[in-house]
Amino acid sequence: MSQDIDNPIKIPDTNEAVRGADIRFSYTRQDATPVQALTGVSLMIPKGGYVVLIGRNGSGKSTLAKLINVLEVPDEGTLAVLGLDTMSEENFWYIRSHCGMVFQNPDNQIVGTSVEEDVAFGPENLGIPTPEIRRRVDDALEYVGLPGLADRMPSSLSGGQKQKLAIAGVLAMMPQVLILDESTAMLDPISRNEFLDLVERLRLEKGITVIHITHDMSEAYRAGHVFVLEKGRIVMEGSPSDVFIRHEQMTKLGLDVPVFAGVVLELCRQLGISPRKEYLESRDAALDSVRSIFGSLTAGQTSLVKSEKPAEPKIEADLRDIVLQVKNLSYSYEERSPMTLMDISFSVKRGEVYSVIGHSGSGKTTLISHLNGLIRPQKGEVELLDPKSGTVWNTRKNADVKEMRRRIGLLFQYPEYQLFEETVRKDILFGPLKMGMDKEAAEKSLMDAIRLVGLDESYLDRSPFELSGGQKRRVAFAGVIAMDPEILVLDEPAAGLDPVGRRDVFRYIRELKNLGKTIILVSHNMDEAARISDRLLVLSEGRAICEASPDELFSSREKVMDIGLDLPESVKFLWELAPDFPGLDLSVYDVEQVAAELIRAAGGLSAVQDKHLAGETDAKGSRRGGRDD
Amino acid sequence: MIKDVSIGRYYRGDSILHRLDPRIKVILFTVYMVAVFMLTKPVGMLLSFIVVTALALLSKIPLREIIKSIRPIVFLMIFIFVINVLTIREGQTIAKFWIIEITDGGILRAVLMTLRLFLLIVSTSILLTLTTTPLKMADALESLFGPLKKIRVPVHEMAMMMSIALRFIPTLVEETDKIMKAQASRGAEYDTGNVLVRARGYVSILVPLFVSSFKRAEDLAVAMDARCYRGGEGRTKLHPLEMKPSDLVWFFILLALAFLPLLTEWIFAPK
Repeated sequence: MSQDIDNPIKIPDTNEAVRGADIRFSYTRQDATPVQALTGVSLMIPKGGYVVLIGRNGSGKSTLAKLINVLEVPDEGTLAVLGLDTMSEENFWYIRSHCGMVFQNPDNQIVGTSVEEDVAFGPENLGIPTPEIRRRVDDALEYVGLPGLADRMPSSLSGGQKQKLAIAGVLAMMPQVLILDESTAMLDPISRNEFLDLVERLRLEKGITVIHITHDMSEAYRAGHVFVLEKGRIVMEGSPSDVFIRHEQMTKLGLDVPVFAGVVLELCRQLGISPRKEYLESRDAALDSVRSIFGSLTAGQTSLVKSEKPAEPKIEADLRDIVLQVKNLSYSYEERSPMTLMDISFSVKRGEVYSVIGHSGSGKTTLISHLNGLIRPQKGEVELLDPKSGTVWNTRKNADVKEMRRRIGLLFQYPEYQLFEETVRKDILFGPLKMGMDKEAAEKSLMDAIRLVGLDESYLDRSPFELSGGQKRRVAFAGVIAMDPEILVLDEPAAGLDPVGRRDVFRYIRELKNLGKTIILVSHNMDEAARISDRLLVLSEGRAICEASPDELFSSREKVMDIGLDLPESVKFLWELAPDFPGLDLSVYDVEQVAAELIRAAGGLSAVQDKHLAGETDAKGSRRGGRDD
Repeated sequence: MIKDVSIGRYYRGDSILHRLDPRIKVILFTVYMVAVFMLTKPVGMLLSFIVVTALALLSKIPLREIIKSIRPIVFLMIFIFVINVLTIREGQTIAKFWIIEITDGGILRAVLMTLRLFLLIVSTSILLTLTTTPLKMADALESLFGPLKKIRVPVHEMAMMMSIALRFIPTLVEETDKIMKAQASRGAEYDTGNVLVRARGYVSILVPLFVSSFKRAEDLAVAMDARCYRGGEGRTKLHPLEMKPSDLVWFFILLALAFLPLLTEWIFAPK
């Protein structure tokens, strides 16, 4: 693979975008032992392909991406990109200028002071003549759908627009390979889909090879090939269905499967049949497989079974239970600018999980900033109530705000940035002591808090800055829990975490609820919100457009369509099956529940198993017939 | 809490001054500044005032934008005026009470000093901040100081740093606001309590701000690397600075206007 150094580089004619053999790489830090990031990776990515790399945090995905773009070179093994060895000095410029990268944090990759300056940054570095840069910048902005914003300051763009800008910046360099390093992690579902559709268009129209690193398992279905990394090596690879059919191994690796695949796998488990790979080939295949599993059942048989699900206890506006009340709240950042919040009223009851749902820009963060008086209402009231004593605190009163901050713990998005003390102990104690807890009580509260978030005492004397991202998040969480607030306001608490991290966060929330805390959850992830919430408030462009329990909301198709809501994946899946399963209860959100509900609607476990075994032989026969054609 | 901090106060417009090569503007500004400091006579000041007014008209910037740029220094202007009136004793005494003596010479000097400051600020605004984007300023400085590269002054790097700093100011302001809110939610205090409490409150903002800025810097360095940045050599530009013939014509016209008031120093010089 080695090339003669004196020769100018020849571009090999190859169909391979990336080929690596036994790549090893470790990071060396001055003060510490080297960290093994890659421990023998071999892979091949064809030109024009779309591959996804998944794996837990620290599994080596990002390192591999950096090696492909020659931001680092392997310690051992070989890595060729576009047929050129990344180890030889003379190739690196060609490779780097033909591989573009989009990173996770949109803010940390924009260099230009204006949109067009930023797009031009790459071509400028390549020394491309001015008129050509102009043309490329205009084309790239047009292509990603940001024309007309050329003169804007990048900081004035939304997160989704910033990531599109990053793509435009890469596009202007005419790349052959596009590497997305968790580029969708900080986007809301709508921007995320727009972004990925754009990437897919680039691949199809420009033949760009896409290497996509993600924690979102459903994104893996956009790829033809999935690599699963664990501790610096590839432990599984294949088509998405190849990988997700081995869901037990995935779970062991701390990973997940997309909801629809999870439902099918769970259904097979409950029915005691072994899942077939073709069930998981796509979402449609999964739907079809469910239909074929229940294939021979007729509608008449199913409608006899009545729902066993207990009726949801009716939520009554019992004033004695209300702990937080927002009345006619309106807010705008500047006098003449459009309203950020418009006439919002709701009340939260003691012990419930109340979720505020909305896309970015819907006013969620502004709303929660009102709850503990960080923003004072321009119009309307925010009141905290003590149902026992009947005391009412109002954020309009300065004297009340301090008490409200003690009773309402607020955790913003990506809370790890708020750590600042030398040790984890001091940081967690900061809040409780500030709120006037005495030393002893604070210590006790600290221990309870770290136990809840799953950290042990050995962490207490470490610096928060040497912890991993997930651990920092736990410490930040503990810092607010230790204040022992009655109400916890959590803004996207699981954002940016890998599947295990996400599950953990929702486990704490359940535990906190069991401890009698009231939780206000802000989220754009419908699946998680539906699973955990007692009630949902849907926010859109600063208005509260709907308040309901998840069951009320998702059982009425019309209602959801009306408000243009993003549905939980499980609900969407069931909706599509509803015509085949009369009497199906649509308001279940867990894969286990979804599978159980399908079986119930189909007439119960034994009925389905009998029918399925009978139908199995027919299905096999017909399938074989189809293949021979 | 802290919002709408804008860097520079570029006023979008399309005038001769907006289009003028920023290097010319920097040079003209320097000349003009020196000229204003050399003026000692009321006639010259008056002429200079007229020149600035002409520039203002040329820039097509609304009067209220220009007034906005003076607002922060109104107090300073008043202060300078009063101090000069009270301390300078020249010529005829107009009023006298207790130990205060006001003279006509003093008033004249005070008016001249104040006017000088006023002209400086307004000309800076019109020639530089209001009509030139910060990025163009950075480009102009990089180009003007270009010869220093020969003696290994990292001119390109400094200009790049300036432009990145400009890019990140709004981001950092947003970040500071976010951190302040988060820490306030944990009970940190910035505006109440004694000095120690407040200082501690600020530590809780500054430490996270530094930590995240370092992280940003690291990320940005990787992102710039990935986009093939390798310093100023061989780099082209989307908006290269180009000196057009008309730029040169305007340069001489405006240069002449800058010197015109200075002539009065000799014409009206005592013989």
